[in-house]
Amino acid sequence: MALPDLTPADVRALAAALGLAPTDDDLLEVTHRLNAMRDALAPLGALPLDEVEPAPPAPEPS
Amino acid sequence: MSAALAFASAAALAARIRSKELSPVALLEAYLARIDRLDGTLRAYITVCREAALAEARRAEQAVARGDRLGPLHGIPIAVKDQLDVAGVRTTAGSRLFADRVATTDAPVIQRLRAAGAVILGKLNLTEFALGGTQQFPYGQPRNPWNPDHDPGGSSSGSGIAAAAALAAATLGEDTGGSVRSPASNCGAVGHRPTWGLVPRTGCVPLCASMDAIGPLTRTVEDAALLLAAIAGPDATDPQMRRRAPDDVMAPLRDGVRGLRIGLVRELTHGPDTDPAARDAVVAAAEVLRTLGARVDEVSLPLVPYAGAAFMALADSEGAGMHLQWLRERGAEYDAGTRRRLLAAALLPAGAYHQATRARALIARQVQAAMTHLDLLVTPTQPGPAPQIASGQTPVRSKADAGGRFFTRRSYTTPFNLAAMPAISLPCGFTASGLPLGLQIAGRRYDDATVLRAAWAYEQATPWHDRRPPE
Repeated sequence: MALPDLTPADVRALAAALGLAPTDDDLLEVTHRLNAMRDALAPLGALPLDEVEPAPPAPEPS
Repeated sequence: MSAALAFASAAALAARIRSKELSPVALLEAYLARIDRLDGTLRAYITVCREAALAEARRAEQAVARGDRLGPLHGIPIAVKDQLDVAGVRTTAGSRLFADRVATTDAPVIQRLRAAGAVILGKLNLTEFALGGTQQFPYGQPRNPWNPDHDPGGSSSGSGIAAAAALAAATLGEDTGGSVRSPASNCGAVGHRPTWGLVPRTGCVPLCASMDAIGPLTRTVEDAALLLAAIAGPDATDPQMRRRAPDDVMAPLRDGVRGLRIGLVRELTHGPDTDPAARDAVVAAAEVLRTLGARVDEVSLPLVPYAGAAFMALADSEGAGMHLQWLRERGAEYDAGTRRRLLAAALLPAGAYHQATRARALIARQVQAAMTHLDLLVTPTQPGPAPQIASGQTPVRSKADAGGRFFTRRSYTTPFNLAAMPAISLPCGFTASGLPLGLQIAGRRYDDATVLRAAWAYEQATPWHDRRPPE
């Protein structure tokens, strides 16, 4: 299910929870970027993710 | 000194120094003169180590005169991305935040270059903190030597420029998601991302520990192999290193491609985002490899278009984690593009990071499964030629604008970062307007030798590496 886009107010609240205070100039662009990233990541949810462990490759392949 | 000399390969220059035909000091002075003449426009360098390099070149010359045993890079002026520590020189990482950060020791890769005889010529420009998307470069706007209105690629922007425009004999960059191969493709140079775990990363300002890899950008494939041979191998200071000695990449370089099985990746070559010029150049390159004796077949890897998004969720999240305190306390010192990218990544939920980690494992599994019946994969390095600089300097106006700028392009290089595999970019043609196009060749983990061998065979069979940017 597609999630609704975050608003600049949502993003400001999320940022504040992390101790971040984006300027007004930053806020709109950060909102666009975050919504774009959420959209780009959404299709990953349809992949068979449970087939693999959430781990990066080891330095020495087995 | 002639441009022909400056554009000669590092291997050829080293041979001339060994035979006393060429003075290391004269060679260095030739590159310094080119930097003085061209770098005001190209802005490849952040720091030119003029006096230190001249002192090193004089010592190199004395060693030749004494008949000392000489390393494979003896007297060769090499410049490195300003993400790598050189003792006594600042490492800015392309950021105002690190304007006064002076390294106290050489990174292991610098120690190894020096041990091979190289002269460290300077530190090269990059996108801020090797992230990509810098809008206003604090140390000057790097420009593509083929057309200064166009992007040289990044994050190792200066490394690509300096290699292509002969502002050094060879360079080093660092590749987390394509940062060696993208500038190689945009600038018409050779860029090799080694297998992750082959080259020590200590003394390199990190971005994403599970993908950062230091690699060469050069004018020829042989030079890339020469530099890789100098910097690869175990190092106790990097816990992610493979513990055994690396394979020899020089001896098999001229063995050709006869009998190799090569897959032309359909989703990246014929995908909806691939420019026809890039597609046609890579299809033609596949035909050259076929003519040279390789078996080339199209292969489908349907998960690779997801690589850009998975990569950005991982690398940007890790970057944001690393920068969080500075974002709170020194946010105004970042370039606006960097700051906004890191702020957005900082707000991604943990579930997205977890999902991207699993997607990475799936993509890596699919790519590595293909390598059970293939020796190499080929793709365009980038979806098209270098875009105009101006197109990346404007603020992001919508989420569609953000998606178009940041995710699509990264799916071409990042599948091999996610899978920890080696991959090279080398020139495979030019657009009608004279911009270079890159061919990407990827191989099995730790089989950098076969990647370089195929790239060398292709390079020798084609004329692209002989072209020089206008001056």
